[in-house]
Amino acid sequence: MDVLPNEEEQMVKNLAREFLEAECPPRLARDMEKDDLGYPPELWKQLADLGWLGISLPERYGGQGLPLTYLGLITEELGRAIAPVPFHSTMVAALTIAEAGSDAQKQDLLPRVGRGELVLTWAYSEENPRLLPETVQCQAVEDGDNFILTGTKMFVDNFVAAEKCLVACRTAPASGANAGISLLLVDAGSTGVSQIPLTTLAKDKQSKVIFDGVRVPRSSLVGELHQGWPIAQGMLDRGTALLCAQMVGAARKDAEMGIDYAKNRVAFGRPIAAFQSIQHICADMILWVDGGQLLTYEALWKMDQGLPASMEVSQAKSFCNDKCEAVVRSSQVLHGGMGFMMEFDLHLWYRRVTAWSMRLGTSFEHRSRIARGLLDQPGRVRLGMNLELPA
Amino acid sequence: MDFAYTPEQEALRDNVRTFIQENVSDEVRQEIEDLGIRRRGPKVRELYAKLGERGWVGISWPREYGGQDGSRIDQYIVEEEFARAGITVGGAGSGAPAILAAGTEEQKKYFLPGLINGEISFALGFTEPQAGADLASLQCRAVRDGDEYVINGQKMFTTAAHYASHIYLMARTDPEAPKHRGISIFLIPMDTEGITVRPLWTIQNEPQAPAGTTYGDARTNEVFFEDVRVPTSCLLGEENMGWYVGAMGLNLDRVGASRYLISVQRDEDIVNYVKENDLGGMNLAEDTSVRDRIAELWIEAQVCRLMTMRSMSLVEKGGNFTYEGSAEKVFAPEHGVRTTETIAQILGPYAQLLNGSEDAVEEGVFAHNLMGSFQSGINHGSTQVMRDQIARRGLGMPRN
Ligand SMILES: Cc1cc2nc3c(=O)[nH]c(=O)nc-3n(C[C@H](O)[C@H](O)[C@H](O)COP(=O)(O)OP(=O)(O)OC[C@H]3O[C@@H](n4cnc5c(N)ncnc54)[C@H](O)[C@@H]3O)c2cc1C
Repeated sequence: MDVLPNEEEQMVKNLAREFLEAECPPRLARDMEKDDLGYPPELWKQLADLGWLGISLPERYGGQGLPLTYLGLITEELGRAIAPVPFHSTMVAALTIAEAGSDAQKQDLLPRVGRGELVLTWAYSEENPRLLPETVQCQAVEDGDNFILTGTKMFVDNFVAAEKCLVACRTAPASGANAGISLLLVDAGSTGVSQIPLTTLAKDKQSKVIFDGVRVPRSSLVGELHQGWPIAQGMLDRGTALLCAQMVGAARKDAEMGIDYAKNRVAFGRPIAAFQSIQHICADMILWVDGGQLLTYEALWKMDQGLPASMEVSQAKSFCNDKCEAVVRSSQVLHGGMGFMMEFDLHLWYRRVTAWSMRLGTSFEHRSRIARGLLDQPGRVRLGMNLELPA
Repeated sequence: MDFAYTPEQEALRDNVRTFIQENVSDEVRQEIEDLGIRRRGPKVRELYAKLGERGWVGISWPREYGGQDGSRIDQYIVEEEFARAGITVGGAGSGAPAILAAGTEEQKKYFLPGLINGEISFALGFTEPQAGADLASLQCRAVRDGDEYVINGQKMFTTAAHYASHIYLMARTDPEAPKHRGISIFLIPMDTEGITVRPLWTIQNEPQAPAGTTYGDARTNEVFFEDVRVPTSCLLGEENMGWYVGAMGLNLDRVGASRYLISVQRDEDIVNYVKENDLGGMNLAEDTSVRDRIAELWIEAQVCRLMTMRSMSLVEKGGNFTYEGSAEKVFAPEHGVRTTETIAQILGPYAQLLNGSEDAVEEGVFAHNLMGSFQSGINHGSTQVMRDQIARRGLGMPRN
C-alpha cells in the first residue's frame, strides 16, 4: 500500500512536465483553437519520439508495455499543459484494439500508433449521449464481406484529424444478456462518411459524424460480432479514467495559477492571499484536486491490475466533474475581472475543464452507476471493499 | 502506486477479525457500555493484555520500547478493525509520537510499554477557557522552582481526565517570550496533589448516545491545577519548545483509523440500512433522488479513505506532512456533517428519534450523530484553522 507515485512513476511525470513546459506553451492551445486540424503534427511526432504514444501498448507491437498508471500520469501532464494533441482519442481506440483486436489488426495498427503515424478516434455517443447499450442506434448490416453502416454519431473527438474511427454500432437487436453491439474500425475517408464540426466551449475538435451506407470490410470488425458491449464498456471506462487524469492535471495547474495570482494581487494594502476567505478558497481547491487525483489513480491502478474498476471510474468522474469544475471556477473568481479577458490565458484551462466535465458521463450518470453497485445487489457494503457493477 | 494491502497484511486483518469474534464477547461489550471504553473494567483490561501479547499495540514503535518495529500500515489495519468493533486501540493520541520524537530515554522506557499494556493512558490537556483554536495563547503557568515545576491554571474539555493515568499538559513556562516560544509540555500523573477534575456533560448525554456515534461520549471535564508540584523529569522535550513538540504529535494524531472512521461509518450504515429496510414502504433504495445522494456521499467517503491512505503512505516512508493531515482533517469532518444531514432528509422524521425511543432507527445513531458530527470539525484543529494551515504551510500564502 503506497498510494503515491513511486520513484519511477514520479520521474516519468516530471520528465513529461519538463518537456511540455518547454515545448507546449499555452500559445499553442490558443493557436490550435483556430487551426483546421486542431493539433501541430511536429509536436505529435515529438510525443512519438519520446515514446508516449506507445507507453502502455504491448511490447510485441512496438509499445513499452508499461502499466496504465504510466499512461495516466502522462495524460495528467498533457492535461496540465492543455496540450492540443489527439492523444486521448488515439489512446482510447488503440488500447481497445490492443485488448480486443485480432493479431493482424494489432500488427497493422499499433506500431503505427506508437510511431506517431496514425491518429485514431472512437465514436459511441449518439443523439441520446448516454453511454448505455440501448442508446446505440447506428446500424451495420452484413453484406457479403462487408458491413453497410448507417447512422449518426455525436461528440466525436478529433474526427477531423483521425485516419480511422472505432465505431460502436448495432448489428443485432438487443436480446437478453446480449446487447447486439459490434465495434467497427472505419476509415474516416470512406465514401458515405461526412462530418459537421461542433463548436464547443473548449474550442477543440468535436464532430457530428454521419455514416450514410458506408461500406466497411469485415476485416475491420474489432472483437466478435454482436459481442461489442463488454469491449465498449472497457473502452469507455478506460477513456473516462484517462479523461479524469487530464482534468486533474489541468485543474491543478489552474489552481496554482490562481494561488500565484492571489499572492501578487494587492487590495486594501496587502496581497489578497493574506485574506482568510481567499486562503480558504485556495485550501478547498487543493482538497478537491487532491481528491480527484486519488480517485483517478485508484481507478487506473485497479484497471491495470485487472480488477473490476467501474465503480472507481464512476467515483472519479463524478467527483472530477463537480470538483475540478469548482476549482477552475474558483480560480476565475480569484482573478477578478482579469480572468474574463480574452488576452489572459486562464480561460484556456477553464473552458477545457468545464467542457470535459460534460463528456464521458455526467455526474448523474456516474452516480447512477454507483447507486446500482451499492444498492442493487445483496450483501452489506464496506468502504475499501471491491464492488462490481451488477449485470 | 499500489492501492492494495499485501497478502501478509490481509492475513493480519483476518487474524484481527477472528480475534475480535472470539474475544470481544457480550460481557466485554456490556462492560464497555456500562463504563465507556476508555474507563477500563477488568474484562476490558484483560482484552488489552491479550492485545499487548499479540504485539498489536504500538506495532510501529521500536522493539526496545515494547513495539514491533513494524509498519504503520499494519498498525492502521489493527486500529481500523477494532475501531469498527467500537474499541480504541493504540490511539495513544498525540502523546506517543511526541514521546518517541522528544522524550528522554527514561521517559520512552517508562511510558511506551505502559501505553502498550494499557496501564498508562493520557488525557490531553491543551484547551483552556480562553485558549481553544488559538491554543498558543494558553495561560496555564508552570514555574521552575529548584528540581520542580509548580503548576497553576485551568484546562477545559479535558476528555479522558476522569480515568486517564496521566495528563499530557501544555503550560506556559516563559510569559515574556512570543506566545509560541514560551510553552512547554509535561507528562503528569493524574493523582498528583492539587489536580481537581470536574465533569462537563455534553448534549449526547440524555439519553446516552449509542456506541459508534460521532462524539457520543457523554462526558468531558474541566481540570484545575492548584500549586501542583512535579519533578523536572516530567518535562517532555526542551523547556519552551513545547509548541513544536505538541504540534508534531497533533499533526500525526489528526490522521489514522479512528479519525477516518468517525466521519464515514454512517455512509456504510445508510447504504446497508436502506438495502435491508423499507421503512413502512418508503422503498428508499429505489428512490432516484436518494440513490443519487447516497452515491455522492459514497464518493466523498472514498476520498476520505484515500486521504487517510495517503497520510499512511507518507508516514510509512518516514515523512511528516506539510498539509496532508490538515487536508484530511477538513475534508472528512465536513463530509461527516454532509452525510449526517443528508441522512436526516432521507429517513425523514425517523431520523429524529433518539436512543431508546419507540421506533428509533439503529438505536438512534443517526439522530445522535446530528448532535455530534459537526464537533469533529471543531476538535483537534478546527476546519477553519486547518484551512489556514493548508494555505500557509501547503501553499505558502502569507499570514494576515
Ligand atoms: C467533546 C469535546 C472533547 C474535547 N476534548 C479535548 C481534549 O481532550 N483535550 C483538549 O485539550 N481539548 C479538547 N477539546 C477542545 C477542542 O479542541 C476545542 O473545542 C477546540 O480547540 C476549539 O476551541 P474552542 O471551543 O475554544 O473554540 P474557539 O477557539 O473559541 O473557536 C470558536 C469558533 O471560531 C473559529 N475560529 C477560531 N479561530 C479562528 C480563526 N483564526 N479564523 C477563523 N475562525 C476561527 C473556530 O474554528 C470555531 O468555529 C474538546 C472539545 C469537545 C467539545
